[in-house]
Amino acid sequence: MYSAIVFLPLLGALIAGFFGRQIGARASEIITCTLLTISAVLSWVAFFSIGVDGGEEHVTVLRWLTSDTLQVNWAFRIDTLTAVMLVVVNTVSALVHWYSIGYMHHDPHRPRFFAYLSLFTFAMLMLVTADNFLQLFFGWEGVGLASYLLIGFWYLKPSANAAAIKAFVVNRVGDFGFALGIFAIFLIFGTISFEEVFANAPALPEAARTMTFLSWEFDTLTVICLLLFMGAMGKSAQFLLHTWLPDAMEGPTPVSALIHAATMVTAGVFMVARLSPLFALSETAMMVVTIVGATTAFFAATVGLVQNDIKRVIAYSTCSQLGYMFVALGVGAFSAGIFHLFTHAFFKALLFLGSGAVIHAMSDEQDMRNMGGLRNMIPVTYWMMAIGTLALTGFPFTAGFFSKDAIIESAFVAHNGWGFYAFLATVIAAGLTSFYSWRLMFLTFHGRSRASADVLHHVHESPAVMLVPLGVLAIGALGAGYLFKDLFIGGNHEHFWREAMAAAGGTEILEAMHHAPGWVAWSPTVMMAAGFVLAWYMYIRRPEVPVALARRHVLLYKFLLNKWYFDEIYDFLLVRPAMRLGRFLWKQGDGRVIDGFGPDGVSARVLDVTRSAVRLQSGYVYHYAFAMLIGVAALITWYMFTGSVH
Amino acid sequence: MPSMALPNLAPAIPEIILAVGAMAMLMLGVFRSGRVSDMINAQAVVVLVLAAAAVILVPGKLLLTFDGVFILDDFARFMKVLTIIGSLVAVVMSIGYFKAEKAMRFEFPILIVLATLGMMMMISANGLIALYMGLELQSLALYVVAAIQRDSARATEAGLKYFVLGALASGMLLYGASLIYGFSGTTEFAGIAAVIAGGGMSLGLIFGIVFLLAGLAFKVSAVPFHMWTPDVYEGAPTPVTAFFAAAPKIAAMAIFVRTMVTAFPAATPEWQQIVVFISIASMALGAFAAIGQTNIKRLMAYSSIGHMGFALVGLASGSLAGVKGVIIYLSIYLAMTAGTFACILAMRRREGAVEEIDELAGLAKRSPMFAFLLAMLMFSLAGIPPLAGFFAKFYVFLAAIEAQLYGLAVLGVLSSVVGAFYYLRIIKIMYFDEPAEAFEPMPGVLRTVLGLSSIVVILFFLIPGPLVAAADFAARSLF
Amino acid sequence: MQDLLMDYLPIVIFIGVALVIGLALLIAPFLVAYQQPDPEKLSAYECGFAAFDDARMKFDVRFYLVAILFIIFDLEVAFLFPWAVAFKEVGWFGFWSMMIFLGVLTIGFIYEWRKGALEWD
Repeated sequence: MYSAIVFLPLLGALIAGFFGRQIGARASEIITCTLLTISAVLSWVAFFSIGVDGGEEHVTVLRWLTSDTLQVNWAFRIDTLTAVMLVVVNTVSALVHWYSIGYMHHDPHRPRFFAYLSLFTFAMLMLVTADNFLQLFFGWEGVGLASYLLIGFWYLKPSANAAAIKAFVVNRVGDFGFALGIFAIFLIFGTISFEEVFANAPALPEAARTMTFLSWEFDTLTVICLLLFMGAMGKSAQFLLHTWLPDAMEGPTPVSALIHAATMVTAGVFMVARLSPLFALSETAMMVVTIVGATTAFFAATVGLVQNDIKRVIAYSTCSQLGYMFVALGVGAFSAGIFHLFTHAFFKALLFLGSGAVIHAMSDEQDMRNMGGLRNMIPVTYWMMAIGTLALTGFPFTAGFFSKDAIIESAFVAHNGWGFYAFLATVIAAGLTSFYSWRLMFLTFHGRSRASADVLHHVHESPAVMLVPLGVLAIGALGAGYLFKDLFIGGNHEHFWREAMAAAGGTEILEAMHHAPGWVAWSPTVMMAAGFVLAWYMYIRRPEVPVALARRHVLLYKFLLNKWYFDEIYDFLLVRPAMRLGRFLWKQGDGRVIDGFGPDGVSARVLDVTRSAVRLQSGYVYHYAFAMLIGVAALITWYMFTGSVH
Repeated sequence: MPSMALPNLAPAIPEIILAVGAMAMLMLGVFRSGRVSDMINAQAVVVLVLAAAAVILVPGKLLLTFDGVFILDDFARFMKVLTIIGSLVAVVMSIGYFKAEKAMRFEFPILIVLATLGMMMMISANGLIALYMGLELQSLALYVVAAIQRDSARATEAGLKYFVLGALASGMLLYGASLIYGFSGTTEFAGIAAVIAGGGMSLGLIFGIVFLLAGLAFKVSAVPFHMWTPDVYEGAPTPVTAFFAAAPKIAAMAIFVRTMVTAFPAATPEWQQIVVFISIASMALGAFAAIGQTNIKRLMAYSSIGHMGFALVGLASGSLAGVKGVIIYLSIYLAMTAGTFACILAMRRREGAVEEIDELAGLAKRSPMFAFLLAMLMFSLAGIPPLAGFFAKFYVFLAAIEAQLYGLAVLGVLSSVVGAFYYLRIIKIMYFDEPAEAFEPMPGVLRTVLGLSSIVVILFFLIPGPLVAAADFAARSLF
Repeated sequence: MQDLLMDYLPIVIFIGVALVIGLALLIAPFLVAYQQPDPEKLSAYECGFAAFDDARMKFDVRFYLVAILFIIFDLEVAFLFPWAVAFKEVGWFGFWSMMIFLGVLTIGFIYEWRKGALEWD
């Protein structure tokens, strides 16, 4: 069954990818969607059989490679964490597949699109079922590749290509650390199997506990965890390595929903959770995870306040929510982090697909300043978006309410400096989240329309194939929190998680969380309400206020609008020097030195020799005879002078 | 005083068959009026096949006759069979060409048979006089064959050039032979070897060897005695070029090897220097000059110069392994050349044969099988594994390494890298350039030749055993 | 020394006789022949060509053909003489060798005849 879950999407990708032209777009769609749906159903079966009924599975597919002491198998490690991820990935992916049939129906390259989607799903499944670091890395790079391909799906758009390259390159920075981390693990433990690494990590011999680099001594586990976390930061778009995510919105909207909201970007979160037995051993690493997560949550929320592109707002929101998850992981509440990952997948996918429906309705318009008043024209989409927004902002009893509050509370009860910092950051971010989410809703659906009459004329509700997935996700966004709260972070969590994460997902801190002061539990809800009211005041009641505010605090506004100038700083510090260095190496190093003296130079010399050799062949018999005589004479002379006679 | 009894004619049966056959065909052709060419062609094929059968079937391990100047050993048998195959292919492929050109002459197959006779006598020569006789019989026939299209200015020019330079080379060879005779007192290979082994080496003898080598090098078209090759290859009719590229080269290389190994074994260090020099020069010139060619026949001329250089690498090592390498090289070279010329002969449009490399443009789109097989042949000529051409080079370089001729081996490999360029260029033109106008469909004969040679070239690596074993067997008879 | 020179006496006599006959034949026409010269008769004769003309003129290739065909038989004769002299020594092997040689030559001759190489037109 597990093999089927993992390999059915690959099968779909291969069929659609290699035979898409032969079988046509419609058949490709049907095949990939059907296979994904089967996979998704099987995932839910697996979820209940493992998470609820208990029992872990370990499936070895085949021996991958053997090199001296390095032995790697293709194997599936199916435990509760994997099962949760399977459900998230396959459910969202299946819904996105179906949704894409409607969203992409104008596009001539649909087989390719669906092949990529399925390929992505396969890579993601490889990632979450990984049994060792190498397989994890394989899936990691696989999703990176699929993400690159899908961001650049409209490859005729220069901006899409630039965004795809940016995503790829920024992820490379993270992967660099990730790969180094894996090397370090092999160096220290002599194996890259999760099982053995986790078993050996707590009782590391004294000699291996520290490592020396440039005469500095470091704690080995901390170094490994930080290196690995670097990979997670890249993939999950955390502070400093976040710049690619907003640009990734150049891809088709279903891609944004699947990859850049629900699944791939949570790979970093998954990785830290998967490796929680390692991270739990290093306090420093946990501190870094917390601080980075908290900073991202706050930073991304502030930027989201002023963005005008509907998808970018949601993208920064994603960034921010990922920060929440890392905060939970960092303070040891692993289960809370994964719970938020789980619920977030539903409502964020819902928001993205909803915004996709809006964009679809508005004839590919993405700027919210040109929207407004769509509530009555596309009511279903409006309500779906409203549900998503409620869940995101943490309206009581929606999905986000349970998971986000759990994170904020656990940050508070961590009782250390960075925990409190994280608490403050996440609470403020909760208010900001509420504000920008409602701002999005009000700008898009309320007030008077600012769109042109021509566009308005074409506004229409999306087809059923798009709306049904929205509906399914909406159910998840409303109910997932309430239904699964008990399993994930409630009384049953120890039975649910068992060995899947360190300390069964953080029993201690979950226990403490239930005894948090009342005001802590209420603070996010209050912030949420405040954000809503403020948004209502500024965009419904007094629409002129935001403009005035922006004018009065022009510096702050610009600062936020330009995303804290991160792109510009990176451009100045890294991109331009790298371009200059690259240009130098290209023109001087490669062009002049290597090509000049290497291939080009050699071939030019060969051609010179050829020219003279051809010129020897004059066509005159006496030249030829002369050459023969010269040859004989030369040989005779040679012997006369060397006198090589014994 | 040699004995005046009638000699044993059995070892020369193949030659007698060819001689009698050639004369009979000549009479038949000249007395029968009308279209006799088809019949003569068929008879030539029969005569050649009979001769080949006789070569194989004459009993005995090592046969000497005519007072020891004619020898039939395993080496001679092997080389004769190769030569006859080369001639047969040339005859068979020529029919369609001359028909299409409306230049059919019944003398052509007869001249091929006569040339083959000369080559076989040359291969069996065990003394300088027999060597010269075979060489001249071969050469005279070839001069005529080169100019057989009397109305074509290019063909007559080719024939004349070949004749003039060939006469010069023959003169050098004769001069060398007389020097050797003068300084050793005998013309027989075994006698010369005995004299040198007995301390009779002198500068005069070395001069003799140099001149003799010059004459032989002319026949195998090794640098700097190669100058005739490109002009003759380009000017002669294509089937003639196909003939020139295979059989005479094999025969000349055979006698080259036999002379060096059996007449001058004690002088190996001396002639080795010459052979190393002409080998390197041939490989390098073959590789470099071919790059600048646009005519495929001319390109094949330089290619053959280069390949003879590679074969000479084996001889330069002067060892059993080296001779074995030469034999394997020549066998595989024969297959590759036959296939390639079958392709060149198939380059024909309605208005006539074409010879420019650019005419092959986009061949892969028009006739994929043709293009694929030609590409395989080109890869093989370039020496890319696992095709036969790789193994040919492999054995000669191995012998050179064993003989500690490292410089020669390194230069050989480098020039084969340069040489790979022009072979690959042909493949590039066939596969990546805009298609040119289509060729006429390939005649069945050419298909067969191309098919057979491709099978040898492509599948050689599966069963290399028989050829390697036979080559080993043949090489041993010289030592 | 005397004996050695005596050995060459027949050659000297032979040369003398040849000189006498040759000179006699050259001188006799001047003395006895009927003479009526004209410019055509007085001009030098050379194989049908004008004696004093541009050397780079075209002339018939058939002259060469005849000459080459003739040379073959010239050589044949050159080969036959030593063979005839040494006939007793060379025995049957020598006899049959020459027969084969002549046979081959005959075949060549038949070929050139049939091909029309001997016809002037």
